[in-house]
Amino acid sequence: MRERFANGFDPFVIPFLIGMAFVLGYCIVAMFRIIIQLPKADRKRFLLTLITPKYIWMNIRDIFLNCLIHVKLWKRNKVLGYMHSSIAFGWFMIILLGHLEVILFLPNRIHLFYYPIFFNYFVAETESTIQGSLLMFLMDFFLLIILSGIVLAIIKRFASRIVGMRRTTRLSLMDQVGLYSLWAIFPLRLLAESFTAHISGGSFLTIPANWVFRQFLGNDLHALPTWWAYSIALCVFMCVLPFTRYMHIPAEMLLIPMRNAGIRIRHPRKGFALLEVYSCPACGVCIDACPMSVRKVNCKDTTVYLNRMLRRGNERRIEEISDKCLLCGKCTAVCQVGVQGPELRIAQRERRAYALSPSYSAINVRPLASAVVHGAGGESGGVLYFAGCMTHLTPSIRRATASLLDKAGVRWQMMDPENGLCCGRPLMMAGRTEQARELIAKNAEIIRASGCDTLLLSCPICYKVFLEEYKLEGVRVVHHSVFFEELIAGGQLQVRRDDGLKLVFHDPCELGRGCGIYEEPRRAVAAAGELVEAGKHHAEAICCGGSLGSLTLSYDQRRPMTRNALENLTVANPDQIVTACPLCLATFVRQADRPVRDIAEVLDAHC
Amino acid sequence: MVNRTPVIAIIGAGIAGLEAARQLSALGYEPVLIEKAPVTGGHVAEWNRLFPDMSPAADLVQSLEAATAKVRTMTGTEIASINRLKDGYSLVLSDGNILVCQAVLFATGFHLFDASKKEEYGYGIYDRVITNRDLEQWFNTRQDERIRHPKAVGFVHCVGSRDVKAGNTQCSKVCCITAIKEAIEVKEAFPDAEVYCFYMDLRLYGKKYEDFYIRAQRDLGIHFIRGRVSEVGEDIDGRVVVKAEDTLSGKPVKVTLDLLVLMSGIVCNPDAQSYAQQIGVAIDDDGFLKSRNNLGSIVESSRPGVFFAGACTGAKTIPETLAEARSAALAIHHYFNNRG
Repeated sequence: MRERFANGFDPFVIPFLIGMAFVLGYCIVAMFRIIIQLPKADRKRFLLTLITPKYIWMNIRDIFLNCLIHVKLWKRNKVLGYMHSSIAFGWFMIILLGHLEVILFLPNRIHLFYYPIFFNYFVAETESTIQGSLLMFLMDFFLLIILSGIVLAIIKRFASRIVGMRRTTRLSLMDQVGLYSLWAIFPLRLLAESFTAHISGGSFLTIPANWVFRQFLGNDLHALPTWWAYSIALCVFMCVLPFTRYMHIPAEMLLIPMRNAGIRIRHPRKGFALLEVYSCPACGVCIDACPMSVRKVNCKDTTVYLNRMLRRGNERRIEEISDKCLLCGKCTAVCQVGVQGPELRIAQRERRAYALSPSYSAINVRPLASAVVHGAGGESGGVLYFAGCMTHLTPSIRRATASLLDKAGVRWQMMDPENGLCCGRPLMMAGRTEQARELIAKNAEIIRASGCDTLLLSCPICYKVFLEEYKLEGVRVVHHSVFFEELIAGGQLQVRRDDGLKLVFHDPCELGRGCGIYEEPRRAVAAAGELVEAGKHHAEAICCGGSLGSLTLSYDQRRPMTRNALENLTVANPDQIVTACPLCLATFVRQADRPVRDIAEVLDAHC
Repeated sequence: MVNRTPVIAIIGAGIAGLEAARQLSALGYEPVLIEKAPVTGGHVAEWNRLFPDMSPAADLVQSLEAATAKVRTMTGTEIASINRLKDGYSLVLSDGNILVCQAVLFATGFHLFDASKKEEYGYGIYDRVITNRDLEQWFNTRQDERIRHPKAVGFVHCVGSRDVKAGNTQCSKVCCITAIKEAIEVKEAFPDAEVYCFYMDLRLYGKKYEDFYIRAQRDLGIHFIRGRVSEVGEDIDGRVVVKAEDTLSGKPVKVTLDLLVLMSGIVCNPDAQSYAQQIGVAIDDDGFLKSRNNLGSIVESSRPGVFFAGACTGAKTIPETLAEARSAALAIHHYFNNRG
C-alpha cells in the first residue's frame, strides 16, 4: 500500500467538499432550530433522553433498523424493502469501509474529509495485502448491492406497478434533480474506480471492468474526468438535498430519538411537526392507502402532498387538504417513517381563528349528575353506559347493548337515557380543543358522581376520547366489543354459534388504528358465526367514508369511498357485515347489498 | 311486417301502464302488459283515498282495469332480460316465454324509499313507527296492531327525499299533500288526537292542495313544525319520543307520540335501471330514466322504439301520470306512422 500523491490532494475533491459543507451546515442549523422550537417541557424531556442509556440504546437500534435496513418497508413490500435498504445500507457500508481503509492503511490522512470517499484515486497496490483485498472485495460487493437497488429504483420510476405500487408521487423539479444525481453517483463511482483499478487495485467488479475498458481505450485519460463527474454528482445531490424529499435521510435520524422521547405535535409548522414533514420520503405509499384516492381528484389530498405543501408554504392548499381528510389514520399505519398525517391536520385546524366560538361552560350538569346518582341507588360500582349521539341515532345498537347487559346480569345504568352531552371527540377532530375540554370537564363530573367503576361505550369515537383525554381514576373505560368478549369468555353470556353464518368484521378507524383494538371484537364475532376476513383488514382496514374527520367532503364525494370499502369487505362473500361503530353502520347500511349489523346486535341475536 | 299489428310491450301494469294500454288498443295496436306483482294497479292499488277529491283509489284502478280487460296482461311475470333486435326488442320472461315487440313502453313506476335505512327514525325498531304505506293499508283494512287509538300522532315529511345522506336529492313531490291528507284522515278517525307534521318546506302547488293545508291548520288544529326530526327514541311505555328543532322559533322541541308516520319518498325503481342498461337507454343522475328532452319529449327515450310513462322518469301525481300515459300512446302512434 502506498500513496500516489505526496500532497494527498486533487482539485476534483472540491465540489464534494462544497456539497458536504453545505449539507452539514444546513442540517445542523435546522436541527437546532427544531429543538429550540419545541415547547420547554418537551425540549427538556428530549435532551434528557439523549443521555439516558436505555434511550441511547433504543435510538441506535431504531435508527439502524429503520433508516438503514428499512424493516417496516420490508414487512410491507419485499421489493421496495430491498431497493431502499440496498441503497441506504450499501452506501452506509461503503462510507464505513472507506473510513476503515484510511484508518488501517493511511492513518495520517484520516483528518481529510474526502479521503475515505475517493480513496481509490489516491492509493496504489491496495489488494496486495490480505486486508486490502478483503476490503476491496467488500467495497465492490456493496457497490454491486447499491447498483442493483438503483436498477430497481429506475424500474419503479417508470413502471411502479412492477414493484407493487399502483400510484407513486409526482416529483417536483428539485426532487427530480436530486433523484437523477443520486442515480448518477454510483455508476460514476464504478466507472471511476474501474478506470483507476490497474493502479489502485480493485476486486471482482472493478478489475474486470478495468480490463474491458483497457482493451479499447488504451490510455488513462478518462480516469480524472470521471472522478470529477463522481465528485460533482455528489456535490449536486448534497446541495439540493435540503430542498428535496431526500431531506428525510437526516431528518429521520432526529425524528426517531424525538419520537422515542414521546414528543407530540403541538404546532402544525414548528418543532416536531416540522421534523415529521421533513421526514416524509415522498414515497407515495399513502396515496394508494388513502380511502379518498378512489376518486382520482383526491389523490393530491393525501399526506405526502400535505407535507409538500407545508414545505412550500402553500396556505390555500394546506387548509384545503387539512379540512378534507377523513382522519382515518391509514396513511400513518402504512408509512414506514410513521408521519402522523391526521395529527398534522388537526394541529392545522387548531390554528384557525373562528369568528364565533360557542362556550359550553354554562351548561348545568347537576340534573344529569343527580339522575345517575339516583340511578345508582346509593351503591357504588357497576357499569355506566354512555351511548353518545351516534348510538342514539342507531337505536338498534342501544337496544341490543341493553339487552346483552341484562342477559349477562350486569348491574348497569345509562348515563344519557334522554339527554346527554357530546363526548368532545368531534370538536377535537375539528381542532376546537378548548370547547372539547369544556365538555370533557362536564362529562367527567357526571361520571364521577355516578360512582361507577366501569364506563361502557358503544361508539369508538367516544371511546377514544374517554380513554385518552378524560382523567377518570378508578374507572375502567371499555368499548362494548371488548366488554362483551370478556363476558363471553367468562361464561356470563352464552352465545349460540351458527356455523353456517359467514361474518366479516369491519375495523372502525377509531377502534382499530385509533385504539389498537383488533382481536377482541374478532373473537366475539367468531363466537356467533364463521369469521371471514376482508381484503384489507386490521391496521389496513379501509375507512367507511362516513368519518366525522372530514370537514369538507360532501356526501356525493364520500359515496364512492363507501362503495370501495364495501367491495373490500365482501371479497369473501360474507352473509353479514359486522362492525362496532354506529357511524360505520349508518354509512354502510345505506349502500350495502347485504345486512350490516353492529357487533352487539349479532351477539344479542345469538344469545 | 307491413300488415301485422305492431306489438308494444308495456313494462308495469300500474296506472300508467293500464292507461297507456287502453289508449294503444283504442289506436289499433296490440299492447302487452307485463306485471311483476300478482295484481295490476301498482302503488295506487295499495292506497285508500286519493287527493284532491278524496275519491277511493280502488275506483280509479277498477275503471282502468275494466277498460283494459281485453288487453293481454301477464301478471306475476318478471323480465329475465331484454335484447335489441333489428327493428324491435325481445323480452325473455320469467315463465320462459319470449315476447318479440316493435316498441317498449317503460311504465315501471317508482319504489318507496326503505325507511329502515334512516335508522335514526326507528322504523323496524320501534313498534309505533310506521310508514305512509302502512297507514294507507290501515285505512283499507282498519287492522293494525300498532294503531290503537293514538292520542298523539306525528308525520315526518321527506323521509329519504331531499336527503343527500340517503342518496336522494330529489323532491318526491306528492308527500307534502299526502301527509296533510293522511293527517286529516287520522284526525277524522281519532278526533281527540293531537297531530303534528314535521316538515322542511310545504310544497302545495296543485289544484286544491292549499285548501287541504288551510283546513288542516285552521279547522282541524294540526300542528305544523318546520324542522327536521333529529332523533327518535322510545320511552318505558313504548311510546315514541321525537326530538326535532322548530326552526321558526329556533328552539329544540321534544314530543312524545303514540304513532309516528314516516312519509317515505319516491325513489327510482332498480328493475327499471337494469332493463334500461340492457338495451342502452340512458339513466339520469338521480337514478330515474332519462328522457330525450325534459321539456318537449318527456315520454321519449334516447333510443328509437323505447318510451316512458309515469314515475319511471321522476315523481309524478296521478293526473300527470295518466296524461303522460296518453301522451306516450300518441308518441308511439306517431313513431309507427312515421316508420310507414
